[in-house]
Amino acid sequence: MVQEAKLHNSQLAERAGRVRRNALVMAETQGQGYIAQALGVADVLSVAYFHAMQVRPEQPEWEERDRFLLSVGHYGIAHYAVPAEAGYFPEDELTTYAADDSRLPMSGMTSYTPGAEMSGGSIGLGLPMAVGMSMGLKRKGSKSFVYILMGDGELAEGPTWEAAISAANYGLGNIIAPVDFNQVQADGPSMKVMNTEPVVDKFEAFGFYVQRVDGNDLPSLVAAFDNAREHPEPKPRIIICDTKMGCGVDFLEGREKSHFICLGDDDWKRAYAALGERSKA
Amino acid sequence: MSGADLKQMKTTKKAPDVTASAVDEGHRTVPMPFGHALIKLAETRPEIVGMSADLAKYTDIHIFAERFPDRFYQMGMSEQLMATAAGGLAKEGFVPFATTYATFASRRCYDFMSQAVAEQDANVKLIGGLPGLTTGYGPSHQATDDIAIFRAMPNMTVIDPCDAYEIEQMVPAIADYPGPVYTRILRGNVAKVLDEYDYRFELGRSALLRGGRNVLIVSTGFMTMRALDTAKELQADGIDVAVLHVPTIKPLDETGILREVRRTGRLVVTAENHSIIGGLGEAVASLIGRSGMGVELRQIALPDRFLDAGTLGVLQHRYGISRAAMCESIKRWL
Ligand SMILES: Cc1ncc(C[n+]2csc(CCOP(=O)(O)OP(=O)(O)O)c2C)c(N)n1
Ligand SMILES: [Mg+2]
Repeated sequence: MVQEAKLHNSQLAERAGRVRRNALVMAETQGQGYIAQALGVADVLSVAYFHAMQVRPEQPEWEERDRFLLSVGHYGIAHYAVPAEAGYFPEDELTTYAADDSRLPMSGMTSYTPGAEMSGGSIGLGLPMAVGMSMGLKRKGSKSFVYILMGDGELAEGPTWEAAISAANYGLGNIIAPVDFNQVQADGPSMKVMNTEPVVDKFEAFGFYVQRVDGNDLPSLVAAFDNAREHPEPKPRIIICDTKMGCGVDFLEGREKSHFICLGDDDWKRAYAALGERSKA
Repeated sequence: MSGADLKQMKTTKKAPDVTASAVDEGHRTVPMPFGHALIKLAETRPEIVGMSADLAKYTDIHIFAERFPDRFYQMGMSEQLMATAAGGLAKEGFVPFATTYATFASRRCYDFMSQAVAEQDANVKLIGGLPGLTTGYGPSHQATDDIAIFRAMPNMTVIDPCDAYEIEQMVPAIADYPGPVYTRILRGNVAKVLDEYDYRFELGRSALLRGGRNVLIVSTGFMTMRALDTAKELQADGIDVAVLHVPTIKPLDETGILREVRRTGRLVVTAENHSIIGGLGEAVASLIGRSGMGVELRQIALPDRFLDAGTLGVLQHRYGISRAAMCESIKRWL
């Protein structure tokens, strides 16, 4: 972030830990939810917000900010955990997650949440939206980047590939697209539901600058986001992040049915303990 | 609904909204009626195949996929492909039942359904889960306009079933009909109501479930369950309510509806889990207008706006489709 010097990896790890804790707080208020995704993608989002992106939490509409688009609206729980840690809104508000009249609805929407740049939820709109915003920023002579987070299941949506063709055609080098490759989608393991591999070859053939990294390894993520910003060619940039669902909470890692998880009271205690935290509820 | 009720609603941990089936208190339920009915039908009909766009588990067709793995196509999160490929399968003589959420079935698939299915009169059954306001996710998942969208599409048959009993009968009925159908479904544990009313589903037919002297409710989908409960509740206040259930919204049972509307001296109310624009209410309004009867009509329906996110019970009440809101509206109009 702009007002801070670059964080050391240990500081990033601390912040990613608090992001995970925040996600648990939200999930616990509901007793269930997209917890495993939030834990899995916490490192990617932390590196994006606390290392790579130029943003001002106290001024969400700052014109020179980097844009961040959340295409997978159900990742709201993962996303809110980060702006809360960054200071866009008070941490206390996390316990209103998905409640009536909350600013933190189950599915992320721009009209509800400070710092949310798009209304996602109907999956597959993110990359097309990024194309338009990227064009708009270039027209304005802006140096800002458009970060767009997609899910691996989202790669089956047609609009994603229409946008991919166009992003390369127009040389939209200000698009940086991390993909949460967590190997899960609604009906089960992503590559069984619809095999989209080899994704690196596909995006390269479509004209992208492609990197594939361990999405739970902070130094690799930092390097990948740096490379994406600094890459000299006018190509859209994609970072395939291989993440582990439930990362950080051992008994949630590698659970087969992990798209939407319900936990009992004891499980919450165990989950906080695994993160070295205590329940706030 | 009392303030205390509302307060309780806010503090209780809610049922998973993604899997909501909108069962009101006091009703028996049946698990996965759509999935079971499709399996039963497919036992004797080899031309039936299943499809889903990464929502098999959330539309109850996963049990069909388990029973007939080689007759099920998992299409991934590609709704436009699913709709169009369903048209292709139909061209080769198969009868695809293709499922996704109602929002994606209608909004995302519109052109694809229109050209690859409806215009070619392809024998495709498109199934929409999470109909109308049955989730607190917000507009991306609230299918408030699916019926309007498919009513406007030539050749389409459009259905909004009330309960498990109806879904069980509707599945073989739409398989027997050789053309494109869009139907909403309820999934998970679905209320069973209509078996108490000596009811049979017939494609394109309305059914008078109870007579009444003061009010006629013309309803569709699970709002018929609410209409029946409303009728019971208003009985206590001496208000006699008739309920006409209209599961097939297109083609509309004009004769059946006009027969009931023609009986004078009753407040006529339509009730639907859909936008006030383009659904059952407007279909009935234009029918009455064309008939020259000059009957006044009231609509219980969702407002023409993007609805809030939140918890389901609170939202259904806020937008006037809870049983309590329905009772209040009818009393006010009388
Ligand atoms: C257009 C569209 N189709 C279907 C859905 C329902 N849905 C929500 S999340 C999801 C799975 C998404 O897969 P992925 O992007 O990998 O997310 P993950 O399961 O990892 O959370 C589906 C099918 C949706 N929200 N939007
Ligand atoms: Mg995934």
